[in-house]
Amino acid sequence: MKPRLAFLSLLIGIPLGAQTIQQAEALWRAHDYVSATTAFDAALKANPKNAEYRVRFGQFFFERYYPDEAAKLFKEALELDPKNAQAYYGLARVYAEDFNPEAIAAADKALEINPKFYQAYELKARMALEDDDRKKAATEADAALAIDPTALDAIAIHATLDLLEDKESPWLAKINNRAKGYETIASLLVINRRYEDALVYYSKAVAADPELWTAHSQLGVTLMRLGRPDEAYKELELAYNNDHTSDAATRNSLKLLDTYKDFETFTTSTTILKLNKKEADALRPYFEHVMQWAMSVYEKKYQFKLPRPLQVEVYPNHEDFAVRTLGLPGVGGILGVTFDDVIAMDSPSGRPPGQFHWGETLWHEMSHAYILTLTNYRVPRWFTEGLAVHEESATTPDWGDRVTPEIISAIRDKKLLPVAEIDRGFVHPTFPTQVIVSYYEAGKMCDYIASRWGESKLLDMAHEFAKNRPTVDVIRDQLKMEPEAFDKDFQAEIDKEVGKTVTNFKEWTTGLGELNKLSRAPGSDNNEIISKGRALEALYPDYVEAGNAYVAVAKACLAKEDKACAMDEYARYSKASGRDADAIKQYAKLLDEAGKPKEAEASLERLNFVNPLDTDLHEKLGALYMKTKDAPAAVREYAVLVALHPIDVAGSHYNLAKAYQAEGRKDKAREEVLTALEAAPEYRPAQKLLLEVSGEGN
Amino acid sequence: MKKALLMLALASPSFATTFFVTVAGLGGEPDYEQRFSMLAADTDKLLRGAGGGDRVVETLKGADATKARLTASLNRIAAQAKPQDVLVLMMIGHGTFDGTEYKFNLPGPDISGTELAGLLNKIPATRQLVVDMTSASGGATAALKRENRTVITATKSGTEKNATVFARYWVEALRDPAADVDKSGVVTALEAFHYAQTKTAAFYTEQKRLATEHPQLEDTQHASAFPLVRYGDAATTVTDPAKRDLVAKKEQIENQIDALKYQKDLLAPEDYKKQISALLLELAKTQEAIEK
Repeated sequence: MKPRLAFLSLLIGIPLGAQTIQQAEALWRAHDYVSATTAFDAALKANPKNAEYRVRFGQFFFERYYPDEAAKLFKEALELDPKNAQAYYGLARVYAEDFNPEAIAAADKALEINPKFYQAYELKARMALEDDDRKKAATEADAALAIDPTALDAIAIHATLDLLEDKESPWLAKINNRAKGYETIASLLVINRRYEDALVYYSKAVAADPELWTAHSQLGVTLMRLGRPDEAYKELELAYNNDHTSDAATRNSLKLLDTYKDFETFTTSTTILKLNKKEADALRPYFEHVMQWAMSVYEKKYQFKLPRPLQVEVYPNHEDFAVRTLGLPGVGGILGVTFDDVIAMDSPSGRPPGQFHWGETLWHEMSHAYILTLTNYRVPRWFTEGLAVHEESATTPDWGDRVTPEIISAIRDKKLLPVAEIDRGFVHPTFPTQVIVSYYEAGKMCDYIASRWGESKLLDMAHEFAKNRPTVDVIRDQLKMEPEAFDKDFQAEIDKEVGKTVTNFKEWTTGLGELNKLSRAPGSDNNEIISKGRALEALYPDYVEAGNAYVAVAKACLAKEDKACAMDEYARYSKASGRDADAIKQYAKLLDEAGKPKEAEASLERLNFVNPLDTDLHEKLGALYMKTKDAPAAVREYAVLVALHPIDVAGSHYNLAKAYQAEGRKDKAREEVLTALEAAPEYRPAQKLLLEVSGEGN
Repeated sequence: MKKALLMLALASPSFATTFFVTVAGLGGEPDYEQRFSMLAADTDKLLRGAGGGDRVVETLKGADATKARLTASLNRIAAQAKPQDVLVLMMIGHGTFDGTEYKFNLPGPDISGTELAGLLNKIPATRQLVVDMTSASGGATAALKRENRTVITATKSGTEKNATVFARYWVEALRDPAADVDKSGVVTALEAFHYAQTKTAAFYTEQKRLATEHPQLEDTQHASAFPLVRYGDAATTVTDPAKRDLVAKKEQIENQIDALKYQKDLLAPEDYKKQISALLLELAKTQEAIEK
């Protein structure tokens, strides 16, 4: 946003002469964008009623990466001239770039005004292809070609359709070495997650026109996504240095590449883990553990080994991670993303504590790495996302996001999409929560397939998708039913699973508000809280977020000093995937007090997948492992605690020394206890330990 | 830190008294009222429960926390306290700053920084600690600053006007043995400040919020001389006359350790490690002998 404002601010202070639209156009062609802006502005001021000028200025802004300003000008042009097809088309392009389905209506308006406006057909074809509606994409492209047989985007779309289906394409020759055509193909391949193929076509684009800076930029972005930073930097820098005010993706990608020096890389024969140096020591044991664990599960399940080491990049700054997803559809609020066998994701420190289960995010993304590779990237979006959501809780049932109130509302309002159309819910959402709803729906579809046809059916389907077969054919062949019948049965399953919640949603919403009010009121009847809370849990057992009934009930149990009741409640909360740190710590404390330290450990271990940067958590876990004589686990926990630089330096090093001593590693114990004493020379327990490990003790 | 405390303990007459006054100001809304009162009540409990010499603990909260009651309380201490005594004033709540004057919000009339300083100046206790944990508390520093008075504020200036979280962590420091970083068995004002300062900064970082408070400490040197709470048998060992020689030896080793730490950057890492290890082992043995 800042660069944009800086660019626009240049307008102020430059005297506006009697410049004409021709001068503005000439300056634009000469790449003198600042002067062109001034000239356009002057031309508009001199001709305030001229819709065409506004359209041209809008097109200029759109090309120069200012879509908001462009949209504003197109709308102004339409106010002056409601029959301006170019203005509608301009708006359609702005919307399409943002994956906003309103683009279709705007393109249709342009066509209504000017039926020969073939570019509008091209845009519709592109959007259909983004939705993986290949038939419609071909039809729209044909409509464009019927008007102009040389329509480049239409040709590129046909070529892409062939490439996506692994066919030799006669359309490629018709591109006639036009760089823009290759660039369009590459961008559509990216949308379809065919990143390696996209590299080929971006490379062709820059070879055909070495001054096509947008293609250089996207080539760089794609190289960066595929974990090739040095090559990426060269391309991005080239685009940045030559394209004057280049787009956000170029600028931010370069900035991100500049931060790579702050990362540390840990490699094994099968994994590459990149962590920010400031948190590497604390996160490494947990990330490496999940990577190895998931690989062993997926290798068995998918009967497949990744051909190259899997790379995971963990970004403590969410904005850095977001740069990796710029220009991709359905990425609002995204936590992780997979490009072939490179995974980029938020670090647990990238979001407020407790809001992000990094373990299930990594597990989810790793499923993509396997499935995308196994199918050679020929898998529809709904299936790879659905399978990854299914996997989140398939191995660890208390992982995975539960059905949220937004999803319940969508089910109630009958907004789930048929399996044949679900992809568009990810790419061109028609309501704000549709992307989230589509993840849920796709995940549930995979759950349903696994439960009805067996887990192995999902792998069979993946192999079928690898043959580049469309969803409807795979459903028919593998599930032996028509897609419509599948939708009907699936809906019945959803009704069975959450029908009670959907039906009683209003009652539950009101009830939960009342329960929270009751819980906060001094002197409330704990038995009433317990009975009302449990009734609400029965209506919506998956609700474990803020103000949930489980925690209210557990607190009421504790208020009446019924620890067994509280433990029972916390157990149900944990099973339903509840992960509030205070609640889980309370649960662990109760378990420990009840003589169940192993169970207490297990409950706290869950939090390591949510907030591994919580010093208190590691201190508690370390103490429990010492109690249960699991010295290696205690060493891990206390070592992480030390890596987090806690306030109590001496105490944390002393605890680590004790764990090393328990593990029989006296030298390490001595080293740590000396560090503890260096911070607090008079620390008596540490002094005693030093004497012991030095052979001077009693 | 321990050494400084020890010297002060040896230098101070045994009948020195520490006066603790904790005030929870006006909340303005139920949530804050409850939070401030709870923090004050916790502080009261922790101070009363903590060992370590004569201490007088007074807490004003809720409707009792008026300007008149606070004035009366400080005047009473002014009448009782002697120069060797210690005063610790802790203020929890909201504050305001109009550009020139800070005010601590209390039920009824507020009290200004200048008025507060006037009351504190009348108290003969030479060593004074003021912990102002309110919003805009940085605006009070100029008025409260004086020789031998350590001033801690939750905010850097009077312009940091948002409600603060510093008080929460200050009280936590009094409760959490981890705040005792030198493991001397005593949490000093300096340790409590560092604890609360670190936790306050972490709070804003973790919540991805712009920090609206930057705790300040005027007079770092003397802050370590204010013991707030004590754990276990701290101070009992060092005052045992039968172990005088060993205590002297121990102090000598501690001085050597301090000196060596100052030279750390000048020494080769291996040399430093060897020397510090030897001294720490010797210190541990000496302590063992003291306790025999």
